[in-house]
Amino acid sequence: MKEQLIISVGREFGSGGHEIAKILSEHYKIDLLDHNLLDEIAVERGLDADTLRHLDEKHIAPFVSRSVRNFSVSPEKNIAQLQFDYIEKKAAKGDSFVIVGRCSEQVLKAYDSMVSVFVLGEKHHKIQRICELFKLSEEKAEKFMKEKDTKRKRYHNGHCEGKWGDSRNYDISVNSSVLGIEGTVAVLIDFIDRKRQL
Amino acid sequence: MLAQIFATAIFLLMFIFIVVEVVERHVVSLVCALLTIVLVFGLCMQDMAAIVDTINLKSLFTVEFWYHTGNEGGSSAGINWETIIFIFGMMVMVEGMARVGFFRWLCMYIAKLVRYKVIPLFMTFMVLSTILCMFIDSITVILFLAAVTIELSRLLKHNPIPMILAEIFCANLGGSATMCGDPPNIIIGTSLGYFFMDFVTNTGVIAAVSFVAVLIYFYLVFKKDLLAKASEKIDYNNLPTPESTITDKRGFYISSVIFLAAILLLVTHAQTGLTVSSIGVIVAVATLLSSIRHAKLLLKQVDYKTIAFFIGLFVVIGGLEKTGILEIMAGFIGKISGGNVLLMIAIIIWLSAICSAFVDNIPFATTMIPIIKSLSVTYGVDLSVLAWTLAIGTDIGGSATPIGASANVVGIATASREGYVIKWGQYCKKMVPATIIVVLISMLVIYFRYL
Repeated sequence: MKEQLIISVGREFGSGGHEIAKILSEHYKIDLLDHNLLDEIAVERGLDADTLRHLDEKHIAPFVSRSVRNFSVSPEKNIAQLQFDYIEKKAAKGDSFVIVGRCSEQVLKAYDSMVSVFVLGEKHHKIQRICELFKLSEEKAEKFMKEKDTKRKRYHNGHCEGKWGDSRNYDISVNSSVLGIEGTVAVLIDFIDRKRQL
Repeated sequence: MLAQIFATAIFLLMFIFIVVEVVERHVVSLVCALLTIVLVFGLCMQDMAAIVDTINLKSLFTVEFWYHTGNEGGSSAGINWETIIFIFGMMVMVEGMARVGFFRWLCMYIAKLVRYKVIPLFMTFMVLSTILCMFIDSITVILFLAAVTIELSRLLKHNPIPMILAEIFCANLGGSATMCGDPPNIIIGTSLGYFFMDFVTNTGVIAAVSFVAVLIYFYLVFKKDLLAKASEKIDYNNLPTPESTITDKRGFYISSVIFLAAILLLVTHAQTGLTVSSIGVIVAVATLLSSIRHAKLLLKQVDYKTIAFFIGLFVVIGGLEKTGILEIMAGFIGKISGGNVLLMIAIIIWLSAICSAFVDNIPFATTMIPIIKSLSVTYGVDLSVLAWTLAIGTDIGGSATPIGASANVVGIATASREGYVIKWGQYCKKMVPATIIVVLISMLVIYFRYL
């Protein structure tokens, strides 16, 4: 049986983290789990994917939520938990995959087969990338980037203990602006392969 | 005056922190309890006797705490150790029952009994939820019932959300029927000296009448959803058998006997003289001795955070009581109602229901007990009528919103974690009318029966 490999990719918006995750999944020929994760769960359980997607990667709304023991009424928290349970189950089954976001570096930290990566980037590089990808002006791209990163940070820090982007929580944090997407992928592949040999 | 300001400020602070959930509620209540002891009793009142009264440890060493000789009626001041010991004992028993698969077996057995037909299943699970919650905490009941409902709904191809919502409502309704069903009732009963059967013959009757109404209501509002996929073919071979859910056969029989014995002891405690604290200790010891190998695990699984929350809460409310704040509040309610009993009951039941829909009903009920005592003394109203009114209002009001009661939170979370998301609007649309119907019915029953 092939040895299990899980690559968890956290990323700043515009850093190319998603693209890097995609290239890594193609390189290792393993599944990529990103926003399609909820579609996969919905198909498997006969649920409405749109409803689930609407609540994905959202922070917990205050005042209208209440917790009892480990249960919460917050739909956002429960949808997050649904995904955490799903990836945990997948990992426990021995599946290999690349997972983007979803606090995966925390949820799966008990797995030695996991390599956790955080991709960051220089502000001007990220803005430039967002402008090209979403056809936005620099001003709008910067605003969009800030909104997205704030959202990711609140989601991550609201659902798990470790802080988003804190290098102590990841095996490797890499600035994609230094070597570009391809160069960063090469560094990561080298890192992942070396870790797997340990 | 300063003591009153501090006591009120600490109480409000506790409520705010419980609502915003920045820190866990047991930490909030314990810190506020400490503040009450230091600032209110120590610094402002400089009253050591108030501290001793509120900690109330001496009550543990009285005969009446374990064995009652008449209708003494406990004190509502300070920590209600009778409630705490009883809840602890029941928690141990319930953990023991859960370990052997009792709840899953019961759900599956009933499902098989009605041949897995959706509407009969819907109705019987409502009955099951009501009856179980008369004796067992609603969190455990809903935890198992909702999980089995989802499991069966996948196999029987229907939407589990209507069934879970009806089960949640019935859990809260069942809790209102007895002294041990919902924490406010046990606090009301032990504080005011009522017995198990006092609740059954009063709030129990109200709950029974209301149950018929909610059964019809939920059937009418959910019938279409439940039967949407009724024509689809179902493979009954995939359904788990009730027997397969039992994890320890010997333990299962013993747990069932202990559970039945607990019911018997509660029903007869006015005659036997055993207080609920004694019953709590008996069921806990019986459970631990019968599964001695798992005793450590059972004790570990007890929800100590809730027990700590209760302890802190009793001290904070004790602060309000000792400083006379609750008497002022009672005077305010009395003034608004002008001493009119009909109006007083309407205010208590609706105020309790509305407040319990948004905040934890345990601190609310604990706060209201000295208030209804004061109203009873001042206006000559029968205390028991006010007690049943308060119990029904706080127990039922919690059903109205997702955050009103523990059963709601557990039911919604269990469903949502399986992908069946229940949002505020969707929840309130069905549950608010049901709550209003039951509160109205309860108010009318109280008016016609007691006045």
